[in-house]
Amino acid sequence: MFGYYFKLGVRSLRRNPVLTTLMVLTLAIGVAASVSTLTILHMMSGDPIPQKSTRLFAPVLDNRPAENYDPGHERPDDQLTYIDVVNLLKSGQGVRRTGMYGIAAVIEPPDKQIEPFWTEGMAPTRDFFAMFDVPFVYGGPWSEADDARGADVVVLSREMAEKLFGDANPIGRQVRLLDAPFTVIGVIGAWSPQPRYYQLQSGRKFGVNEDLFIPLASAIRHKSSHNGGMSCSARSDPGFEGILRSECTWLQFWFETASSADRADLQAWLDNYAADQRRLGRMKRNAPNELYDVPEWLVHMKVVGKDNKLSAWLAFGFLALCLVNTIGLLLAKFSVRASEVGIRRALGASRTDIFRQFLTESAVIGLAGGVLGLLLAFGALALLSLQSSAMAAVARMDLAMLAFTFALSVLAALVAGLLPTWRACQVTPALQLKSQ
Amino acid sequence: MLRMSNLSKVYRTHMIETHALRGFEIQVNAGEFVTVTGPSGSGKTSFLNIAGLLEEFTDGEYILDGVNVKGLDDNARSRLRNEKLGFIFQGFNLIPDLNLFDNVDVPLRYRGFNARERKERIEDALAKVGLASRMKHYPAELSGGQQQRVAIARALAGSPKLLLADEPTGNLDTQMARGVMDLLEQINAAGTTILMVTHDPELAVRTQRNVHIIDGQVSDLVRRAPSLADSPVPAAVPA
Amino acid sequence: MEIRPILSSLMRNKTGPILVALQVALSLAILANALHIVGERRAAAARPSGIADEHAVFTINISHLRGDGPEQDLANQNREIATLRAVPGVVSVANVGQLPMSNSGWNTTVAVERSQTRESAVASTYSVADSVVQAWGLVLAEGRDFSAAEYVDIPMGSRDTPRAVMLTRALAARLWPNQATVGKTLYIGMGEDAMGIPVVGVVERLQDHNANIGERGEMSIIVPRREYGAGGATYTVRAAPGQRERVIRDAEDALRKASGDPVILHTRTIDELRAARYRADVALSWTLVVVSVLLLLITAGGIVGMASLWVNQRRKQIGVRRALGARKRDIVRYFITENVLITSAGVFGGVLLGIGLNQLLVNRLEMERLPLGYLAGGAVVLWALGIAAAYGPAWRAAGISPALATRSA
Repeated sequence: MFGYYFKLGVRSLRRNPVLTTLMVLTLAIGVAASVSTLTILHMMSGDPIPQKSTRLFAPVLDNRPAENYDPGHERPDDQLTYIDVVNLLKSGQGVRRTGMYGIAAVIEPPDKQIEPFWTEGMAPTRDFFAMFDVPFVYGGPWSEADDARGADVVVLSREMAEKLFGDANPIGRQVRLLDAPFTVIGVIGAWSPQPRYYQLQSGRKFGVNEDLFIPLASAIRHKSSHNGGMSCSARSDPGFEGILRSECTWLQFWFETASSADRADLQAWLDNYAADQRRLGRMKRNAPNELYDVPEWLVHMKVVGKDNKLSAWLAFGFLALCLVNTIGLLLAKFSVRASEVGIRRALGASRTDIFRQFLTESAVIGLAGGVLGLLLAFGALALLSLQSSAMAAVARMDLAMLAFTFALSVLAALVAGLLPTWRACQVTPALQLKSQ
Repeated sequence: MLRMSNLSKVYRTHMIETHALRGFEIQVNAGEFVTVTGPSGSGKTSFLNIAGLLEEFTDGEYILDGVNVKGLDDNARSRLRNEKLGFIFQGFNLIPDLNLFDNVDVPLRYRGFNARERKERIEDALAKVGLASRMKHYPAELSGGQQQRVAIARALAGSPKLLLADEPTGNLDTQMARGVMDLLEQINAAGTTILMVTHDPELAVRTQRNVHIIDGQVSDLVRRAPSLADSPVPAAVPA
Repeated sequence: MEIRPILSSLMRNKTGPILVALQVALSLAILANALHIVGERRAAAARPSGIADEHAVFTINISHLRGDGPEQDLANQNREIATLRAVPGVVSVANVGQLPMSNSGWNTTVAVERSQTRESAVASTYSVADSVVQAWGLVLAEGRDFSAAEYVDIPMGSRDTPRAVMLTRALAARLWPNQATVGKTLYIGMGEDAMGIPVVGVVERLQDHNANIGERGEMSIIVPRREYGAGGATYTVRAAPGQRERVIRDAEDALRKASGDPVILHTRTIDELRAARYRADVALSWTLVVVSVLLLLITAGGIVGMASLWVNQRRKQIGVRRALGARKRDIVRYFITENVLITSAGVFGGVLLGIGLNQLLVNRLEMERLPLGYLAGGAVVLWALGIAAAYGPAWRAAGISPALATRSA
């Protein structure tokens, strides 16, 4: 029976192309607006590492002076001092741990034809790659020995490897970095988590690709300055060494535990550590020490911007308008078919049959609106991608949103069709109708 | 009151020309009650529409209450309709979303009367047709005969000179029809000229004068005295 | 004007009018809020940074690949400044630590008394080695620019007290309201370690490096100190009007030639900085404008559709009215009046809805309160839209022949 209704619906829509176009277009525009904004929101708030997002923890300690303490006041950043990073690395807590900071370095390609250029990357400890499931196409992370002594080794991104060495396997080759020769020991494959949850403090949350990775100890040894923010709550001694000893925060840290249940133990250890540090004269504030797993971290760092939420809300308001508009158009469309309904009823159709027929017709409009809406949404997302690389990384339709588009369109059409369909069912059976 | 000379009405649609009226001649004097009969397709409706200034005619002359209608623009015709004519239709044509008071009010609004004057006229008109008590009711709550009487009230409210009725009893049963006819006769007796189109020969014989139209032309003018009308059933009480 | 009967007739068939009024209401609510946000963002993006004639100014960041020690670095910088000054078309040059609207820079807590426990403000800190008043064309509101003796060069990482400081007007007003600022002492940090610096001048305006919205974005300090030894520097250059592109090319060439070792140059114009800073705001504005236009189109379409439907449904009635003496004008007026009534109901609802929506935005997204002007303007637009949209169907209704009263069954 639904096949019959479907055919009827399609035929009826074809009979009045102008009205049909108007309805489908209105619905499609409303759906497209909602879907594009929702897609961006969805991509922005997606879990970038679902397989272990509740087992990865970022610790935050408050090392600022006791004066001027306002518990409600926002922290300037959520980074750590070098002292704390070193201690946390030595702690052995969790199954793995990594400390890191962002670096910017000038790279001098071995091919003298290519001018030296700036790159941006990370200086983590070796567990970084295992913790964050970074895939390798050539080689692997550096050894523990290299990690400890800060050897001049580098892991490149695939794009960077191709830029410097073409298609060849670059393992063992050398490249000049931070004014010293570094040996390439690994090349990673496609890895671009959105957002860049492991390092959100620098402000760039989306569309960032790391060009290279060097050991933390190596970056320290070369006195490579931080590519990001630094917050100093007290005076530090001069020079790079002074910063390493200071209460300036500029590094990030992550723990990986065996299961999310281990969180309590980790928290306890962290509190103990802070208490120990207080005995040594640091951490004077005695503020709460915090642990964030990845989802909490994303919320804490306000990854989803207010503007995106605003766009999503307005888009849904817009969809509501399109819905009301469609109800009106469907009312118009169904009302002129009163005689058809009267005849069908006279010939034996029940109210339910009429209901099904007209609701199916609404669904047909929903499907057509979904197809058009999807095309429009793709277009809108493409336009939005032009805005910035951050936007391009999130303005991307995935399978879930694709299915959602159709579901939304059909649902919207059905909701819009309820009132007009109900009205159509009220027509009394008659073989001849006078219209006023 | 009304005079048409050598009137013709031609309908042109694509390639077909229909002569609804040709060389039509008629004169109706003030105070007369004239029925217009004829088989279907004879042009009665065209005649009525033209008489009522609802349609324009192709050729000839039409003088209504001393005014030559030819060359009047749409606004002037509307004004003339509004001030001099009253209409009664077979299907009553009341506006379903308005109550009786507002229905009778419609033509008065276009006349420009003030609120007080309108109220007086409406109440008068509804009283004349015996429905003053149901002023706030809606047409759907009334019987066919009552609806037609409201339509008559609407036609009368503006004190027209000429009343045009198109099959006013066509949708009514015999009893209601008689009631409406009695009402019309009362109105005519009070001085309003009435021109009524009907295909019911029983009604035709009740009036002073009957004009018969065949193929767009007047075929017979028969004057009858009211006393010779034979109605087998006495006049009924209005429903 | 037959308002009462029209109203009564509408009340008998509420569904259609309610749908139209609802569309008008939704449109008004969204339109008012959307245009308000567009206005805000455009206003924010139009704020002056403090740099006069931004089109003529650009920056060059230079990085030396060979680190030869801090003394060499200082010599490099001095040579580079001289090189740049010698480029024809260069009006002025300054060595600066950060730029406005660049999203990269330093914030410092400042206070008016050493003994304070809570900072008076957080200020964006411009460390400069030459006059930015000159290079950026900053307007002096009080006092003077730095004198040559006040500029110091110190090795990177050392912390010594600058000899003078300049503030922006907004910061001065916050720290010392209604007082003369020149001669006062500004403290960087608090407590024993705080550095007390005499204020020598106040500039009218210099935005912070993030160009934050509101008062926060106008609080900056300028200190005459250069830290050397980082292996690179940033220079801000003002070119003669209309010559910016050529001057950029010549400046880059000159710097490369003058340098002994390989260098990397990164040039950006202030226009580019501004565009990047406000890119998201401009994109949002455009999106909202597009949505507003679509909104109006859809609502207009809805009104036209419903009005046409009603005209169609009441063909007979319209013929009857004409038969009863209505002129074409009267029929048009009837439908326009009907439409105005519905639109007005919609506008009324839209005002309420618009305020409600704004309240939601204020609470959840920290947006600004909606000024009533936007609602009023939006109401006028929608009234006009409603009347214009109803005109077509109304005219078609007027064209219905009075003969319909008798002709159709």
